[in-house]
Formats: sequence, C-alpha cells, structure tokens
Amino acid sequence: MSFTLTSIPNAPVDNRPDSVIADHEYGKLTLKEYLYTSKHPVGEPLPTPIDDEPPMAIYIATYISYLILIIVGNIRDFFGKVFRPKDYEFLVESNGYAPWYTAFESFYVRRLKTRIDDCFARPIHGVPGRYINCFNRKAIRGGFVYDGTSNECLNLSSYNYLGFAQSHGVCTDAALKSVDDYGTSVCSPRAHSGTSDLHLECERVIADFVGKEDAIIVSQGYGTNANLFSSLADSKTLVISDELNHASIRFGIRLTGAVVKVFKHNDMKDLEKLLRNQIAQGQPKTHRPWKKIIIAVEGLYSMEGNLCNLPKLVELKEKYKSYLFVDEAHSIGALGPSGKGVCDYFSIDPNRIDLLMGTLTKSFGATGGYFAGDKKIIDKLRINYISNNYTESVPPPVLAQIISSLRVIRGELNPGEGEERLQRIAFNSRYLRLGLKKLGFIVYGADDSPVVPLLLFLPAKMPALSRMLYDMGIAVVIVSYPATPIISARARLCVSAALTKEDLDYILEKINEVGELIYLKFSSGIAGGSKIPGRPPRMTLEEALATNVEDCKQAKLG
Amino acid sequence: MSVPMVTKTVTTTALAAMAPPSLEALGDSFAQTFVYYLNFLGKLPGGSIILKYIKLSYKNDPIRSLFELALFIFAVHYFLSSKRKENKADTIRFSDKEINELVAEWEPEPLVDEVTPREKWLMKSIPQIIGANGSKAFIKGVDGPVVNFASCDYLNMSELERVREVTKLVISSSGVGACGPPNFYGSADVHVRLEEDLATYLGAERAILYGQDFVTAGSVLPSFLKRGDLCVVDSGINLAIQKALIVSRCDIEWFDHNDPEHLEQILNELKPVLDKQKIRRRFIVTEGIFETSGEICSLPKIVELKDRFKYRLFLDESRSIGVLGQNGKGVAEHYNIPRSDINITIGALSNSFASSGGFCVGVVPMIHHQRILSLAYVFSASLPPYCAKVASEVIHQILESTDDGRSSSSIISQLRDITKFSYQLMEKHLSSELTIYSDSNNPLIHVGLAQKYRELLGFPNYYGSAQFLTTGKPSRYLNEFDKYYNWESFILQKIIDLTLKNSNILITRSKLILEHESLPVLGPHLLINIKRTTTKQQVEDLAHALASSSKKVFANLHNNIDVLNLERELLDY
Repeated sequence: MSFTLTSIPNAPVDNRPDSVIADHEYGKLTLKEYLYTSKHPVGEPLPTPIDDEPPMAIYIATYISYLILIIVGNIRDFFGKVFRPKDYEFLVESNGYAPWYTAFESFYVRRLKTRIDDCFARPIHGVPGRYINCFNRKAIRGGFVYDGTSNECLNLSSYNYLGFAQSHGVCTDAALKSVDDYGTSVCSPRAHSGTSDLHLECERVIADFVGKEDAIIVSQGYGTNANLFSSLADSKTLVISDELNHASIRFGIRLTGAVVKVFKHNDMKDLEKLLRNQIAQGQPKTHRPWKKIIIAVEGLYSMEGNLCNLPKLVELKEKYKSYLFVDEAHSIGALGPSGKGVCDYFSIDPNRIDLLMGTLTKSFGATGGYFAGDKKIIDKLRINYISNNYTESVPPPVLAQIISSLRVIRGELNPGEGEERLQRIAFNSRYLRLGLKKLGFIVYGADDSPVVPLLLFLPAKMPALSRMLYDMGIAVVIVSYPATPIISARARLCVSAALTKEDLDYILEKINEVGELIYLKFSSGIAGGSKIPGRPPRMTLEEALATNVEDCKQAKLG
Repeated sequence: MSVPMVTKTVTTTALAAMAPPSLEALGDSFAQTFVYYLNFLGKLPGGSIILKYIKLSYKNDPIRSLFELALFIFAVHYFLSSKRKENKADTIRFSDKEINELVAEWEPEPLVDEVTPREKWLMKSIPQIIGANGSKAFIKGVDGPVVNFASCDYLNMSELERVREVTKLVISSSGVGACGPPNFYGSADVHVRLEEDLATYLGAERAILYGQDFVTAGSVLPSFLKRGDLCVVDSGINLAIQKALIVSRCDIEWFDHNDPEHLEQILNELKPVLDKQKIRRRFIVTEGIFETSGEICSLPKIVELKDRFKYRLFLDESRSIGVLGQNGKGVAEHYNIPRSDINITIGALSNSFASSGGFCVGVVPMIHHQRILSLAYVFSASLPPYCAKVASEVIHQILESTDDGRSSSSIISQLRDITKFSYQLMEKHLSSELTIYSDSNNPLIHVGLAQKYRELLGFPNYYGSAQFLTTGKPSRYLNEFDKYYNWESFILQKIIDLTLKNSNILITRSKLILEHESLPVLGPHLLINIKRTTTKQQVEDLAHALASSSKKVFANLHNNIDVLNLERELLDY
C-alpha cells in the first residue's frame, strides 16, 4: 500500500483468537525464576545514584550539534522569511495583531523538534500493553500521510508498570459492568451529585492500600497536583521543592503565591541546610516565623529513574517540624514487595508522611490521581479542595478499573496474579537495566526503578535510535530539552510486567545492534556492569545474557 | 610559534616598566608565570586571536589593557555571583547553636486547619448517589428513586444505549486507561477522530483534547500569555480562568460583568496607551454561559469590539457547548457568529457530552503551539480512549438528528423546548423571596434569594475580596471564612433538603469555595439542571415542590436576627 491517507486510518480488524490477543497484551510468565521482590534493606543508606559521564568528545560533539542546528535554523528562518513569507505569516505581526508566539519562543520547536516529529506522538490503536500498535506514517511538509497499516511493536513506551493495560480479564469485566450500572460519566462535580457509592468505595480501597486513613480521587493526575497546593499553602508558607519535581507540582505551587525554595535534586545536605536557614531567617523582609514548611518531592523521578531518599527525608521532616508531600506518580504499584510505593520499598510507616499523592494511570491501567492523608486533613479538603467542587468527578469505568486492579494486587481477586505482576516488574526492571550496563550503555537511576533512562547525549541519535528500533518492532520514548538538561538527551525505557524475559532478550539484542551502529556504548564502568571492576564494560550480547538472570537478582547491580 | 615569542618580549617589558624597582624581583617571577600561561593560551584553539588582540591593544595604550583586564575580572565575578540570588543584606547570620534554638522554638501551624463546627454541614450535605447519576437516581437515606435535577448531563447521553454500547466496544478493544501522554504513544485513533469531529462540528480548523475540564483554561491561556501581554476580562469569570490569569502573570483589565458598553469604554481608554507601545498579545476573555451567574455573554457586541480594537477573543464554552444554538454548537451558533471569529474556544466534554475532559479549538498554528508548550497537554496522560469515543458518538447523535445540514437538531430542540417551558412555569410558581438569575436559554436554572429579600436579611451585595478587581493583582491571602455566605448557602440547603425529603426531587446549589475565589462572589444560587428528557410533569412537580419547601423555609426568616438564629440549626445539621 502507498502512503495516500492524510488522516489516520481506521484500526485494522484484529481477527486473532482471544487467547493470542490476551498474550500480546500481557505475556505469560515463561519461568518461575524470572521473578524478584524489590525492597530496600532496612537501615542501609540509599546508595547515591552514579551518573556516568561520557568521554569529553561526546560533550563537545553535542554542543557542536546544537550549534549547527541553531545556525542552520537561523539561516533557514532568515531566508524563509524572505522567500516564503506565507509560511512565516503566523510568526510576524499582521494587520495590527501580535503573532501568536514569537519566532524566538518557538525556535526550538520549529527548528529542532519539528525535524524529528515522526518520533513523537505516534498514533496508536488498541491496547498499549506488551505490544503497541502504531500506525505507519510518512512525514510530509506540514504533516503526515498514512498507508492504512500499523506496526506491532514491543512496548517500552507506555506507563504500564504492572501490565494492567488489557482488554481481557477481571479488570475489563469490572469496567464493562460499571458502564451498565453507572453509565459513562457522572456529569457532575463531586460536591454536587458526583459522589456515588463507587467513588467512596474506590477511595476506601486506595486509602487502605497506601496505608492512610482516607483519600480523595481526582479525574486527572496533573489536575490533582495543580489544584492541591492552593488548599495547603499561602504566601506565609514556605514550599521546598526538589529541582526535578514534575510540572504539575510546580504549577500547583505557583498558584498559591507561597515562597518557593528549590533544593538540588535528591541532595539531603542541601535540603537540611535550606531548612535550617529558612527556619532561622523566617519570612523575607519581616523575619516572622514561617506559618509552615512543606517539602514536596517525588517518590520516583520519571526522567532520571532516581528514588527519593525517603528515610532521610522523613528524618529531616520530623527534626525540622515540616510537612512532607510525596508524589508517587511513578512509584505506586511499581515499587515495594506489595506494590505500595516508596514507603513499602523503604519499610517506612506511611503515617510518617503527611500527604501521599499518586496517579492511577501508570500502574493500574486506569487514569486520574489521588492523595491520601489523615482523616482530619482529608475531611477539610473535601470541602476546601478546588477539584472537589469545580471539576468533573472520576468516571465509573475508571473507578471499576482502579478498584479491581487494586484487588488483584492485594490478592483478593485472582489470588497469586497480583504477586506475580509485582515480582515481574521488579525482575524485568533489574534484568533490562543490568543487561544495558553490561553491554556498555550509560543508564541512570536506581537499581529497582522501572524507568530506565538510556543516555544518548547527541540530538541526532534520538531520531536514529527511535526510528531504527521502530523498524525492528520496538517502541521507545525519546526525551530531551526541556524535559531534561539540553546536553543529556535520552531514551526513556519504561519497563512493564507484561513483557517476558524473552522479550527483554530481544530488546537487549536490538539495542545492542543499534548501539554498535550509532556509537552509544561509552560507559566508564563506574556505574557497574563490568567483569573487572573499574574497566569499561563492553560485554558481547552472549556474555551479557549468559548469567544475567542470576546477576540481576544480586542485592546490588553491577 | 612566532606569535607567543613576540608576546613574551612585549609583555615582560610592559610589566617591568609598570612595577616599581623594589618589586622588580617579584614582578619578574609574576611576569614569567603570566607569560607561561599566555603561551599556553596561544596553543588553545582560538587562543592566538586573543593573544593578537592583547598585543595590539597594548601597543596603543597599556592603561587600556589594564582597564580591560579589570573589566574582564569584574564580568567573571558578576557572572559567578549572580547565581546567589538571596539578598545578603537581608539575611542575619546565626551560629549553629542559635539555629538549633530557633528550630526548637518554632511551632508550625497544622498542614490544613480542621473542619470547624460551622463547616461540618457542608460535608454532610453532599448527597451520596447509589448507582448511576442518571435522570432518576437513588440516594443514600432517601426512599425510592428521586428525579435528578443535579447532574449536568443536559442531553441525557450517559443513559443512551448507543453511547453505552460504543463505550463497551472501546473498553473491550483498548482497555480503560491511555497509559501515556499524547506526545508519547498516548494518542489513539479515537483521540484523533474526536479532534477531527470537534473541529468539523464546531467549524474550526483544528482541535486539541485535554484530560480534565478544569485544567484546560489554566493550560491554554498561559501558553499564549507572558508578562507584558494584556487581557481584558469579564469580572464575573469562573475560577479556572482566574487561576489561569494569575499564573500567566499578564496585565489584566476588568470590565463589568457582561457589560459590553463598559468593555468598549475600557478599550477606548486603553487605546492611546497601547498605540504608543510595541504591539503585544491582547485578549478579551469571557465565557459563553457564565458559570457563576448563568447569564449568556453578549457575543455580537464583543466580537465587533475585538475586531475594531484588534484584540483576540478567548471564549470558555464549557456550559454552552451542546446546549445553545440550533445544533448545540454553542453561543457562537446561538448568535449566528462564525466560529472563526472566536480565536480561542475552550470547552468541557464532561457536561453535555457525557464524557470527561476538555478541549480547545481554533486555527492550526494556535493548536500546534499547545501540543508542545501547553503544560497540561504535555505533562499528563491522554483521556481514556473510551471517553474520546463517547464524545464523538454524542456529536454524531446530534448531527444525525438533523435532517439536513442547516436545520435544527431535534436532540437540541427537545432540550430547548423543555428549558423554555421550565422557565415559564418556574416564574409563575416561584415565591417572591426567590428570583431567577440565569438567562432563559440556559438549561441550568440559577435561582437565588431576591435582592430585596437579601437586603432584608442583611446579606451583603457580594462576598470576598475585590482586591484583584481594583489592583489587578490577586490577593496574597485566601479569603476568610464568611459566616454570612455560610448562612445564605445554608438557607438554600434547607430548601434543597425539604424538596428532596418531601417530593423526592434532587436539586443542588452553587458550591463555590469562597476561600479560593479571587473575584467578588455574588450570593449563592440554587441550581436546577433541566435535561432533554425531563418531562413537563417533572417540571411541574419541581415547581410546586420548590414553592412549598421555600415557603416553609422563609416562614421563619424575616430579618437578620432570624438569620443569626440559623447558626444553631447549622451547627446541629
């Protein structure tokens, strides 16, 4: 077929038997050995994540790459404006209206991101489970053309840590039943007529799961944070935020008018220094004491794969009488022996943390967010939280998906399945991470993190990796500035429990091939993976895979 | 090698000449080191150019070289010190021991205040629905089904069999969640289809979807506004847009709520000032149907003004899409104004479309810009695929109910007819203490205490702070709890409770959180949502029930002393 369609085609009909489809959404466990339980040894300090550095030449090449892109971009802008004024209409003032945005504001997007647009926003159809179906397309000037076919890729791109993205199984059955019993939407904010028995049940289940007295659910994770801080802080409050906190937290804090101080990512010394200074100095100008201090961190940082240092954070927060807010967007479900997030992983009583926030998108195959806390906090927020009074409530099928998936994890539905999912995500994350290290790639993050950032550095390697892997049937996400520092472009691999060990072997084989071809293996060995400590690890695929199952179950990877 | 050699001679002589004789020895060794580094500099790429410059510059004027060196050192110092943002003069130095004492002394306030006895009724009065929030619903603590006038499902689409069928179809082929942001494999075929459907339905070039209704405004507006841009905003705008404006840090001018004459006056006043400046982004910001007052905006005049004064128009159609116009295309269709005259339209999918999320429609570059720079689009997961499908299906249902492209959709006209009937009937039966505040085309009927009666009871004209209106800057503190606002809301709640208890009819009231509102808030309203499938009989029952329950509530309320007596009742709720 040729690329003639200007809009995405309809999804091709899938005539495969249900059992095959189910296996493509969630691969069967091939061997009992491919399981692991993730837990941080109690009392041991959190190992400092080692961010390996590439050779200086890579840095220089990266800067030169951007320099060339900027120069070429400016030249094209200059000549474009002269010879193709029509294409630049929206960038210049016309008829007394200022442009929607300036050429400068949009330069990065127009001249850098647009060139590799085919690697972003690939439209899909069906379930984003173990495999993901991407429509094949070709970039043309100003858009894409499609040929009507799609490519089934192994999925390292979706947030599907526990593999609940499925169209078969108990969760789907529950979601389907809820459509009959509750309809498609509640069509009302919670405070009006949007509180059903299903909402209260879901909040009960979540609160029990995370180990808090009560919880509130919201229809979107971003929206949960964006409106939450308005109910917690005002201009006499100090909010201390990790420099890599998610945009929604930063947005939420900005709305409050509170004073914000940022500490270096995961740097507990910096945090303590800040706390001591701020308590001593008090509010700016007046030097009156702060009304309260809120420390906002994430459990697992989605771009770095780092865990927060929860034991130390709890210690500091108690010592300095501050409140701790932990965003478990990526860690809930994905970490800890029972999937209860960072508290579970570090064996810390959830009651020592004031507000536990999380999303239901990433591990439970649903959507939305929640936060959980003591009953008196949640009670107040039920009448003083913007989302409760002004925004849509969570739709019933989503609630049914959340409740049923949490029941599976707790072993109340399909006993054994939840445990297997938890142990598979723990195994798969370690297996892939160690495999990449052995092959010589630079990967960031904690050993148990299901987010595995594979460092590329050079901007040109982003589309190269993405396109080559796509052709080999592997879907990955590439990220760079503004989500990461401009120098360290990366591919973010999101591991899922739905993948089998054989899938991971295939993925390692293909990434190895591409890595050889576009020179991605430049780790120095300080982050582990070498046979002889200190030497740069450059194992062959066979060497790397030979003992990887046993190796990845060692207490410390590397 | 020749360049460094020459430099050596030049530099040594220069330094020797400058140094007093007693320091000669020291000067020599310094000069040697200095020259060594200069030589080293020459080996670096581009270093020879610098050396050449120094040499030439010195030849003409040695003082100039020193001056340049000083400038260079100052620049480096300034560059390094600019990172320390804190104003040193404002900080007090403490020893570690003193800090420990201060830490021990410090007693923070709780993370959130506890619910006060005066607020408890607010939580207790939230109805708990058992099962679906449909046209009939079951409520905890109430016998038998109640007629539901509290859900915003104007077209009653969540109960339509066809809508439920497509929902199940999508869930059983795509699962529930989208599992990723739209830019990273979170955009499924159904999402793209809905964007196409919305754009075609509303007559716009392109559409973009958001995962939640409330975040849409807060994400769209700030992507086109920066410090120095200007918004002229209706002073009765909803909370989502208030927050959006605060975050964007643009300049704000307010015009009186739904008063285009005042808008014209403001624009006229601004014109001479703006004409002198470089052209900046300017928006007029308003709503189709106002969330807080239920009125419909005077769009034709606003469109005329925005064209005359060269502003762009941002319109929030959350409450008017699927409601107003012959085919439910919103307030633009209501006034027969082409969609292209409205530069940015946002709306909610969670009301008439029986789905979730929000959307924005407009021209291609505007929408494209959001795909990369709009926070709630970039940093959050897509809508669940079935939600997109539901909204698409509702659009198809509306379009299919139209015989040909031009005439009216029967689904929308059903809603319009029953709305019209409801207003007529309500006006006939409403007690004199109550007034209808909403526009008679709005199926969400706002009924509040009549202004005269409010004065009698001692309620103020508005609640909350007007600082945002007068200074253009939001207050740095939240509004305080207002007991009058609490009482007025409680009077309405009593009417709601009686109506529910005696007639099995559920209505609701405006539940604004005064603490979070940055603009002055009018008195609270009873909210009655008319649905397409509401029968005339149901409306008659409602009108009678409302009349009898309000009569009972108002029987003991004649002056502000009676209002104070509500306090005990409120505490015992």
